[in-house]
Order: sequence, then C-alpha cells, then structure tokens
Amino acid sequence: MTATAERATVPGPPSGLSARARRRSELTGRDVTVSAVLAVAAFVPAAALVWLTYEMAKQAYPAIVFNGWRFFTTKTFTLGNLYGGTPIVHHGYQAAHGAQYGVLPFLFGTVVSSAIAVVVAVPLSVGGALFLADRVPARLQGALGTFLEVLAGIPSVVFGLWGVFTFGPLMSRTGFKWLAALHIPWLSGSPGAGQGLLTASLVLAVMIIPIIASTTRELFRSVPPLTKEGAVALGLTPSETARHVTIPFVRTGILAATILGLGRALGETIAVLIISGNALNIYPHSIFDPFSTMAAGIAAILDGALTDSTGMALHALGEVGLVLLLVTLLANLGGRFLTRRFSVGGLPVGRGI
Amino acid sequence: MTELPSIRVGPSRSPASGPQEDKLPSSEPSVSDPAEVEATHGPSVFRVENLFFYYGDHLALRDITLDIRPREITSLIGPSGCGKTTFIRCLNRLNDLIPGTRLEGRVEFDGESLYGPDVRAIELRRRIGMVFQKPNPFPKSIYENVALAPRMNRMKGNLDDVVEESLVRAALWDEVKDKLRASAFSLSGGQQQRLCIARAIAVRPEVILMDEPCSALDPVATFRIEELMEDLKNDYTIVIVTHNMQQAARVSDRTAFFTVDTSQGGRTGVMVEIGATSKIFTAPSDQRTEDYITGRFG
Repeated sequence: MTATAERATVPGPPSGLSARARRRSELTGRDVTVSAVLAVAAFVPAAALVWLTYEMAKQAYPAIVFNGWRFFTTKTFTLGNLYGGTPIVHHGYQAAHGAQYGVLPFLFGTVVSSAIAVVVAVPLSVGGALFLADRVPARLQGALGTFLEVLAGIPSVVFGLWGVFTFGPLMSRTGFKWLAALHIPWLSGSPGAGQGLLTASLVLAVMIIPIIASTTRELFRSVPPLTKEGAVALGLTPSETARHVTIPFVRTGILAATILGLGRALGETIAVLIISGNALNIYPHSIFDPFSTMAAGIAAILDGALTDSTGMALHALGEVGLVLLLVTLLANLGGRFLTRRFSVGGLPVGRGI
Repeated sequence: MTELPSIRVGPSRSPASGPQEDKLPSSEPSVSDPAEVEATHGPSVFRVENLFFYYGDHLALRDITLDIRPREITSLIGPSGCGKTTFIRCLNRLNDLIPGTRLEGRVEFDGESLYGPDVRAIELRRRIGMVFQKPNPFPKSIYENVALAPRMNRMKGNLDDVVEESLVRAALWDEVKDKLRASAFSLSGGQQQRLCIARAIAVRPEVILMDEPCSALDPVATFRIEELMEDLKNDYTIVIVTHNMQQAARVSDRTAFFTVDTSQGGRTGVMVEIGATSKIFTAPSDQRTEDYITGRFG
C-alpha cells in the first residue's frame, strides 16, 4: 500500500507523519512514563553485567600485568610470605616474597566438578521430570513438584554440611570404595573421609537437580497431548514415545535448563568449600582427591589476601574472579549457540510451501 | 491443482454430477442379512456390541452397536459432543491414556476381543493407524517422521523404500523428495497432515482411523486428503469422524449418525442409525437423522 493511499483511508492522526510518529501521538503521559520505567528495567541487567566485568577487570589489572600468561600455567597459588622477606617486583608491580599465583588448579576444579555435576544431574533430572509429568497422577505430581521446588531453595551451606557429615562418609564407605576397587585410572585411589572432588561434584549435582528438573517438568507438561498421542497411536511404547517424541520436542528447553544448572554449579562457593577438602595447591590425580574451585578458592583465600601489604594478593583474587566470570559467560554463550543450533526440531528448516 | 497419477479420481469428482447424485444409484444393495454381507464384503474389521463408555461417572457413550466393513470408508457424523471422537478412540484403545475412563461391552477387531485380558494394546495399535484433528508431526525430519515407527517396530525391508512408498501413497512424495531431511514443521498444514497419513501407512496397518482429519485445513488441502482417502480405500479400511456432512457424503460408503441424548440426565452419545451413505443422506429411517442432515439442528 502506498503512503498516499494510506493517508487517504486512515482517518484520525494527522497525515504526513511516519508510522512511528503516529504511534507516539497516540500515547498518553502515563504510557510514556511506563515506557521509560520499562526501558530502564530492560537496560539494568545489561548495564550491571558491563559494569561488573569492568570493575573486575580493573581490580584484576595489576595482577594481569604481574602474572602474564603464567597465571594459566602455574600449578600453585600461594600468597608467599606476608610478614617479611623482600617483595618480588615484576613489570613494575610488587608482590609478597615467594608469592605464586596460578589459576590452573582452581580452573580445573571448577570445570571438572561442574562437568561431573551436569553429567550426573541432567539424566536424573530429565528422567525424574518425565516421570513426574507423565506417569504420576496429577494430585501426587503437585506434592512431589513442591518438594522439588523446596529443594531448590535450600541454602547451599546446608548442602555442604550434609555432604561433609553424612553423604561424603557414606559414599566413602560404600560407592566410592567399590568404584576404587575397579582400579580404573583416575577413578581409583583412597576415598578417605569422603571429602574431595567426587563428593563435591555429586553434592553439586544434588543442588542443581531441582533447578533442571523443575524447569524440565514444566516443559514436559507443555508438550501437546496430541503429539504424544500420535506416537502412542503408532504403537510406540511409553519409553519410545519419551525418547523420540517428548524429549526431542523440548530439547532446546532442556539445554537452557542445563545451562542454568551449570551456571549454579560453576559459581557454587560455600558447599564446595566445605566438601572439597580445601586443597588449594593440589592438582587432583584421583577423583577422590581434595581440590578447590575458583569460587571456593576465592572465599578461602580472601582473609589472608587482605593482609598482604603489597595488595597483589587481592588483585590476583580479582583475576581469579574475572576468569570465573568469563567461564560462566562462555558457558552461557555456548549454551545459547547450541540452543539456536538445536531449535526448530533440531533441523535446518527447509522452505515451507 | 495437479492430479498425481497415483490418485484414482472417482466419477464423483466430475463437476457435472454432484456428489450426492452420484451416490444415489446405491453402490451397495441394501443388505440386511449378516451372512450375505460377509459374503460380499468379507468379515467385519470391527464389530462393536453394546459399548458403554464412561469418563469417571459420566456416561459418554450408550449402547453402541455397529460393524465396520473392510475396505470401505465409514464416516461417523453428528453434532458436537455426541461422542464420535470418543468412539473412534475406543477402536485403537487410545482412551486407555486418559485416567478414569471405563469401557463396557464388546469390541472385536479381526474377530478377536480388542479389550481382552491378553491383548497388548501397543502391538494392536501398530495394526490400526490414526490421523488426528490437527496435524501432529514429530519434532524430527520429514524422513524420520515416517521412518520412526517402522524402525521401532523392527519392520523388515529397506527403510528408505518404506519411507518413499508411504510418502508416494500419501501423495506427498513429489513435494518433499528433495528435502527429506528438513524439519516436518517446515511443511504447510495440508502437507503436514499428509505426512501424518504417510506416517500411519508406514507401519502397514489394516485400518486407518481419521478423527476430523481436515478440520484444521483449507478447502484445497481438504480436497487432496479426500482424494487420497478414495485411493487408500482400495487397501485399507477407513473410519472417519467428520463435522462436515458434505465430506461424509462425498467420501464414505457407509455413514453412522450419532447424536446427544439428554433424556436420562447428562449428555450421552448414542448412535441413531448406520447405513449406506446414500440411504442415510436421502432416506434416513430416523427423524433425528433427517433433522440433522437437513440442517434443522446441530
């Protein structure tokens, strides 16, 4: 339709204005206020992210210069002698005598513990959610679903204590012992008291299961009955229907829920700190060994770092924080990429007629 | 509209004669003796006797007795809420999925009780295909939509051939053969519905149940599905639920008229009569049928 034709047929707003201007002319003062508030609200998260990243980078900058690439290759993280000795000077920045800042053990701990947690949690969550949504009578479903949501809200310190008092020792006496008896490299060794990488990863899994499962349950409930009936009418069994129809129908959402869970696992601090065995310098050689993560490491070291008169220890923790932030962002971006890739039935969309 | 060679176009398609007119010289002599019916048509595919169906306490269908004959199209018509869809879903036990439902009476499929204690509903459904009110393709490629059930059922033969054959049979092959790996959702509604028919054919069922298969489609797509049904009738027994009386008159050999009965409290579906489509639409034996098909209610 041409502009002239439109002008001739559409009464009301003054002619000669652009569509945008006409839309604006219909707004009342109240609309404008609401729009402004919403616009601010929409920009706050973006602004917060940019600001946070900037501040972390600013805090970390001296350490970035001081450490260079060694930050990613050094296998120890020690604050050095905080009460004496000659400070080290490097690229114009000072650090305590004997200080070595290496993020590698933390990075390894974060990535591996989160990966194990996700690998354990996703099948359990998806399976549990499917069971809740498909096989459980509606009334019971509500009750069980509530438990799931309550579980998601339990403070992580409680999970940590449970892990160190109950779950770790129990696993150490049972599952871990059997696993170690198989003598698979990296899965063998002494489970000890159950404080270490595997215990922490499993507790992380328990913590993220409610997040993934409750989201996934809602997704499964949104699958149209007609789609499932289509599969059933073809003579597919319930498990075939789930595997080939119900789960593929919501796989994008499951991926998004997994990223949500991964985000929590990557950043979990206190529970990991309690269960990890808090071994700052050990690069674990067995899945049962004590370890640490970036988040738990920062929390554990902060107190000592505050007493470093050169200030470099704090900057180095800032750099650890920055790496954690970037890893989390990367995980999210990776998730978004995969989500886009697998959306619309997971297939390149052809041309409809 | 291009007509594919595989589609048999009946004389009723010629614009000169209206569909009803064509049906008038009854293709089916009015046979009442069951033995004679069996001699001309073979044994009934479905034999339903005194079927009562309940949703919880609600009686949804009362005392339905009818036969579905092989290689014919039987249409179920009637006003909304008369239980047509509930009934057709009894024929492949799809109502089993709905908690709190109960069926009384006898339903025989191929001479055997469909609801017997030893019957495995899952295996049974492979012999009874179904097409739904709205196209419901799986979130997979066009190819996988058709191939999934044959693969799950471990059918013998080359899967590619099964897929091609089914798509040809559903008159969709020419439109999709170059994009079998594209998502089923990229197809138009009419194409999706033909894909669902191909999917149903792929497991080589004996019967195809169609629950208002054209209710979400435009007239052109509807016409194609009707053409397809005429063709499929040669090999399959088809039961179709339809709101569209013209459709029933156009495509079906026999018509069953259902209605809602409120005389005993509640809204219960009952079958008023079943007979040759030509008879139901020209000389129904029940006043309620006549009222419905002449548009006096419903």
